[in-house]
Amino acid sequence: MTLLVGAPVLLPALAGCLYAVLGWRPATAWLGAVAAAGSLAAAIALAAVTADGPRQALGGLLRADSLSAFMLIVIGAVALLAMLASPAYLAAESAAGHGGPRAARRYGMFTQGFVAAMALAVLAASLGVLWVAVEATTILTAFLVGHRRTREATEAAWKYVVICSVGIALALLGVVLLHYAGQHAGVDAGAGLDWAVLAGHAAALDPGVTRMAVALLVLGFGAKAGLAPMNAWLPDAHSQAPAPVSALMSGVLLSVAFYAILRVKVISDAALGAGFTRTLLLAAALGSLAVAAALLIAQRDYKRMLAYSSIEHMGLLALGAAIGGRLALMAVLLHILGHGLAKSVLFLSAGHINLAAGSSRITAIRGLARRAPLLAGAFGLGLAAVLGLPPFSLFASEIGIVRAGFRSGAWAGWATGAALVLLLVVFAAVARHAGRMLLGPPQFSDAAGPDDPAGAVRLLPRTAALPLVAGLAAAAVLGVWTGPLRPLLETAATIAGVTP
Amino acid sequence: MNDSMYAQWLALACGAFLLAGVLVLWRRDLAAIVRLFALQGVALGAMVVVLGLRQGSVHLVAVAVGVGALRAGLLPYLMRRALDTPPPGNGTAGEEARETRPLVNVATSLLAAAVLALVAYAVSQPIVRLSPGPATQAVPVALTVLLVGFFVLVTRRRALSQVVGFLLIDNAITATAFLTTSGVPLVVELGVSLDVLLAVLVLQVLTTRMRAAFGGTDLGELRELHD
Amino acid sequence: MSGDLMSGLIATVLQVVLVIAGAPLLVGLMRQVRARMEGRAGAGVPQPWRDLRKLLRKEPTEPRDTGWPFRLAPLVLAGTALVVAAVVPLVSTASPLDSAADLFAVTALLALGSVALALGGLDTGTAFGGMGASREVTVLALVEPTILVSVFALSVRAGSTNLGAIVNVTEADPMRVLSPASLLAAVALAVVTIAETGRIPVDNPSTHLELTMIHEAMVLEYSGPDLALIEWASAARLTVLLGLLGSLFLPWGVATAGTGALAVLIGVAAFAVKTAALGVLLAVGEVFMAKLRLFRIPELLAGSFLLALLAVAASFFLAGGA
Repeated sequence: MTLLVGAPVLLPALAGCLYAVLGWRPATAWLGAVAAAGSLAAAIALAAVTADGPRQALGGLLRADSLSAFMLIVIGAVALLAMLASPAYLAAESAAGHGGPRAARRYGMFTQGFVAAMALAVLAASLGVLWVAVEATTILTAFLVGHRRTREATEAAWKYVVICSVGIALALLGVVLLHYAGQHAGVDAGAGLDWAVLAGHAAALDPGVTRMAVALLVLGFGAKAGLAPMNAWLPDAHSQAPAPVSALMSGVLLSVAFYAILRVKVISDAALGAGFTRTLLLAAALGSLAVAAALLIAQRDYKRMLAYSSIEHMGLLALGAAIGGRLALMAVLLHILGHGLAKSVLFLSAGHINLAAGSSRITAIRGLARRAPLLAGAFGLGLAAVLGLPPFSLFASEIGIVRAGFRSGAWAGWATGAALVLLLVVFAAVARHAGRMLLGPPQFSDAAGPDDPAGAVRLLPRTAALPLVAGLAAAAVLGVWTGPLRPLLETAATIAGVTP
Repeated sequence: MNDSMYAQWLALACGAFLLAGVLVLWRRDLAAIVRLFALQGVALGAMVVVLGLRQGSVHLVAVAVGVGALRAGLLPYLMRRALDTPPPGNGTAGEEARETRPLVNVATSLLAAAVLALVAYAVSQPIVRLSPGPATQAVPVALTVLLVGFFVLVTRRRALSQVVGFLLIDNAITATAFLTTSGVPLVVELGVSLDVLLAVLVLQVLTTRMRAAFGGTDLGELRELHD
Repeated sequence: MSGDLMSGLIATVLQVVLVIAGAPLLVGLMRQVRARMEGRAGAGVPQPWRDLRKLLRKEPTEPRDTGWPFRLAPLVLAGTALVVAAVVPLVSTASPLDSAADLFAVTALLALGSVALALGGLDTGTAFGGMGASREVTVLALVEPTILVSVFALSVRAGSTNLGAIVNVTEADPMRVLSPASLLAAVALAVVTIAETGRIPVDNPSTHLELTMIHEAMVLEYSGPDLALIEWASAARLTVLLGLLGSLFLPWGVATAGTGALAVLIGVAAFAVKTAALGVLLAVGEVFMAKLRLFRIPELLAGSFLLALLAVAASFFLAGGA
């Protein structure tokens, strides 16, 4: 059992060590994908095992329940997509003159360590270890963000590390204060940060200190999840990182930080009533949606456009969590998975577009549909998915959140109404940008000649097309048929705190 | 250790901790700022030693030695190394080693710190009320240093100053942990220390890259990315 | 009771006489120390007295178009210095004027003297006078609150703003001097003492460089007995402030109520020794320090104000703080 619980952490960590020793070469290029597939398999097995209750490992340091298992599935799935796309991406990067074998070795080490840290975060039984793992993701991804070593990349990496570390430091203060409140509520000192134990003693927690702690935790992990007000780092980092890393960061890292908020919410709701986190999350949700809508309208860079779209989706998740209830929480979890898949496809295809066009400006791309139909199709369908169009699963989950919102009383109705208006703005803005990029006569700002017959092939090698198609297909299938995921979603939503 | 001795030594350590944090706002010389940070690390270690002696806990005293070694020894050493790296090309050494143009001038910063101290006191009332005692009553001191750290982070323009601001925040959180509950579980404490150490290493490498890319460590130059 | 009153009275009279006679000597001592450390022979400790005697013999002169503020300023300055010298607990805390030795009263008296001198400087209508006055008031605006706040921090543990009561409490429990509140207040008070008395690094009493001078710029137009009065008053203020610093933070030897004549004598000796020692320390410090540029002075003073405020915070918030 310990091995099964530890596998999602151990496999990527092992792969990272192998990269450190062997370097990135044709033989090891697919190692990351193998490790990701292994973690995904372990996650699915864990989901089956934990259906009837949580499992512990390493003397109570790790604990897997349905919510953790679900998050592990998300991590595994997105990591698999990103790792499948990595060899082609790195090959194209070195062909374009960025980075050599050393950079590739570092890339292998850090991406695997990053995946392992995220898996550790969702498996940790203690809020403290969860914090350590989330902060570790910041440190491990810092060099990945600064991978290209240009002025922009260095600036993005600096801002990313400073803002995220400081934001997450607030969460550490929250952890410390919750520990303090727990000690005075009779929690055993050794297990003082175990979230299950804290939730069990929630009624005895001092409300004043707990309120401060929860506010700091939501703010701190919210910074890492890209929620307003501390979201300034997100567009910079996501637009500068290599495409597969952007996919991982946008697709799962944000959700892992959001998972931490869900765990805190369970404790807070039991100690302070649901109203407190609801207010915090509603403010964060509407703030994030407003920021995303405002900055998407006049966006000039398509990678930043995707980053702001992530902020918008994090806002939606926060809205769903604030609404609470079985329907909303199930929708939130499904949304995490759907967004992870669709957004990774988008970042991966944006990476290919960027490599081909040499620019990430929206105006530099015209008529992509005629020039590279497959790539344009993946990018367009990905955008359709994140905009919440059927048949993709994001349509189902957004409908779920909105329906739950209108059913949960006046405040939720108003908030959902406001969110819908903002979503409409986002939709119009993104659709306009997408239209400019995909349709019209083909034109790249300064790429090869206009009617280069080899262009379409060069833009998207076959191996690179596989993860894009697979991701979109999975998102579409989930939209119409959740199948075996449904019971998992139900138990996970129950753990995330279904308030009757 | 009797009651009044304990209270007095603890207060002395907290006073030194606070003073070192506040004086960071006053000094412009980055080397002096790093020295002040090291001094604060010593005060933090002393604070934990006092708590450990009070509780008769060898474990806590050992943790104190570790905390002191990291925050008064290793981290300042790393920062000094980042500072000593010679800037490339034309001699901007004088500019580089000083916080020449903070966004808020020094006199106003010091007065702002006074306001922050009052804010910290007001905010920490629920914490003190839960279990009044010499240690928890010193929590406002830690929170003041936290806010001062934020202030340094926002208003100072040298890369190294921002690192110091981040570390002040971290010192303050560690102090809060020890003052309220004599520290978080050891696994977490070790993880946090490792994270902080790695974060400083990462920032040090990024500072070197920033010098190479921008020709300096003035954060005002970071203007490439915007909407 | 009457014995107490007598010894208190004697102590007060001795204290005033000591300040009147000793203040110029203190200045002389400090100059001598500086001279020796800089490798000069020096003019000797009694030189300030000789200067005063010379000035007193001169005929009083007045610039044209000056009015009563100019004429009154030296008198007010010297008068306030004298009153402060009488009420502050330097030799004994059992002075019959003890009830007047209130923190606020003393600070207000010192400020009154400074303001009078600033007005006198303004009244001359010269560029230097106005410049000096403006600089002096800038410094004053930061110095006065700092004195108030830092002595207030010390008064928390005494529960009274009476300086005598504060000294008594400290003498009863000398370990209190090591508390954070006391240490912070000590540093803050030391800084403002230096500023208030116009010493390096805030002002340099021995130059007339227009870029930096504060005190000397205001008194440039005075001569003869008026100048003598101002020089003496400045020395007296330095003595009183150093003495107060000594009483607050090194309270050993200060006579308390109900002790006899011997205690008063010990108090006199202790006061003389402490003040001389602090003066020498200050003089030695001045040798090694450069004067701050004028625009950095507010930073220094804002810093000392912050320290004083933190001292108050520490004395209230920390259990062992006061």
